[in-house]
Amino acid sequence: MSENADSMQTRHFLLRRLHSLTGIVPIGVFLIVHLTTNSTIAWGGLNTRAQSEGFGWMDRAIATFQHEVEFINNMPLLLLIEITLWAALGFHSVLGVYYAISGKSNTGAYKYSSNFRYALQRITGYFGIFFIFYHVATLRWGWTWLVPGGTKWSHEAASSTFAAAIQGSTDGFTPVGFLVACFYFLGVSALVFHFANGLWTAAITWGITISRPAQKRWGVICAGLGAGLMLMAWMSVIGFATLDYEQASRVEQILHGEQIHLNDEPN
Amino acid sequence: MSEAEAYSYDAEMRKANRAKAVAGRSVIFKIKRCDGPGKPARWESFKVPIEEGANVISSLNWIAANPVTIEGKKTTPVVWESNCLEEVCGACTMVINGRVRQSCSCLINEYAPCEGDVMTLEPMSKFPVIRDLWVDRARLFNNLTRVKAWVPIDGTYNMGPGPKESHDHQQMRYALSECMSCGCCLDACPQFIKEEDESKWDSSFIGAHAISQARYFNEHETGKQLKADRMDALSGAGGINDCGNAQNCVKVCPKGIPLTESIGAIGRSATIHAIKQFFQGKK
Ligand code: SF4
Ligand code: SF4
Ligand code: FES
Repeated sequence: MSENADSMQTRHFLLRRLHSLTGIVPIGVFLIVHLTTNSTIAWGGLNTRAQSEGFGWMDRAIATFQHEVEFINNMPLLLLIEITLWAALGFHSVLGVYYAISGKSNTGAYKYSSNFRYALQRITGYFGIFFIFYHVATLRWGWTWLVPGGTKWSHEAASSTFAAAIQGSTDGFTPVGFLVACFYFLGVSALVFHFANGLWTAAITWGITISRPAQKRWGVICAGLGAGLMLMAWMSVIGFATLDYEQASRVEQILHGEQIHLNDEPN
Repeated sequence: MSEAEAYSYDAEMRKANRAKAVAGRSVIFKIKRCDGPGKPARWESFKVPIEEGANVISSLNWIAANPVTIEGKKTTPVVWESNCLEEVCGACTMVINGRVRQSCSCLINEYAPCEGDVMTLEPMSKFPVIRDLWVDRARLFNNLTRVKAWVPIDGTYNMGPGPKESHDHQQMRYALSECMSCGCCLDACPQFIKEEDESKWDSSFIGAHAISQARYFNEHETGKQLKADRMDALSGAGGINDCGNAQNCVKVCPKGIPLTESIGAIGRSATIHAIKQFFQGKK
């Protein structure tokens, strides 16, 4: 074999396996963390440490989410983490699309569930890229012209501004806002499926699961993980889509007020 | 066995069809025809009287003897390929009612039980058509040479008897040995794309058939001498990594070969092969 063919072959193998790996670390791991954080809007009421005078269930949830966002925002080397994620996402997306267009789906003739999952994995991939782009562009890069109502997301008022961005106004749902909320719902569902199914196929790719029973067992685990993540994803979207802007804004102001108050304390 | 959830429905449907098959009926054969490589395809239908126990090949024989379309137009006999007539050679593989399978073992009673039912016959979709239902499966055999699917026994001295093999291991290899290179697994694979340009064959996806055969020979005590060569080929472009895990292959394989297990096993070998190459490879 020629030198050239050898390096081509090594590269092919490396790229394919890196594509598989990046889907799990860092992207998949980030997805789990991100959904856990975001779903606090639904279950953060459990967090009794977020208690403050007159706080109810929803207030604690808003406070918890705000706390989480600020914790992430204050992480050291945040930019490095972000760059790693963007690089991984870019790599996984570009290669993923390139690989996906090399196949030709045939679910019309062969209606097996695994064949539908194969097709769905590709469709959710395309859709997921689109969704992540919108998500990051509007919230991270501040492309507010893509946000109905034009609310700019701010990490200081994390719940309220996101609720306004996904509802289309600071005053509850607008028709376009409702579409954005639906888009979010579909986007997160697609990505969770893509991750859970990708985790299942990755085990075959790397040769971790070989026998049919092993593939089945691992499938059950992946489905369980997927169901858990799906629940968190839906809780997040529904939580923010139904969040009252005024309430969230009030809690955030109280939090910041307390913070300023604490900082002002001379002793 | 959970061989295929989808197929169990099929098996039931076929059984039900068999039970209600009407004697003395005629069935319409809708056949995708083509006069030769590069020629346009066209559809022709034939009305064929069904005898007890008729299968697709016997019906094609009837058409060959009576090459008149349903419109009464005289045409050329339909061309197909077949050999064993007992589902062990794979030559008669074609796409029947949209799905790939052997035509010699395809009973009309199971597919078209009533008067006027339609059977659709098409050539395999992933190989170049030579004529009508006859395709050129050279790429399939080329893929076996890519992974050196043989046992190296040529040499200058007698290598003596091979090592002993455990019963379980022998059973595992026996299942893989049943492959008849029919190509069903390739025709149903969404990652195996038709490629007429021979120079691209070696870098196009090799498919479940050769992956499984590579495993078969890797597991052979003498055949494993070529394992590194096989894994080199399977690690490169068109190798194991191009599989998209749609798992259609295992569902359509007429021999019930555990192709997805072979894919997992070769995936594992490829992982180990790459690690070995990294730490001790000379290249
Ligand atoms: S693995 Fe099965 S479907 Fe594929 S060529 Fe062999 S016998 Fe045919
Ligand atoms: S599992 Fe791989 S080889 Fe089998 S049909 Fe799917 S993509 Fe093709
Ligand atoms: S003729 Fe050999 S398999 Fe059908």
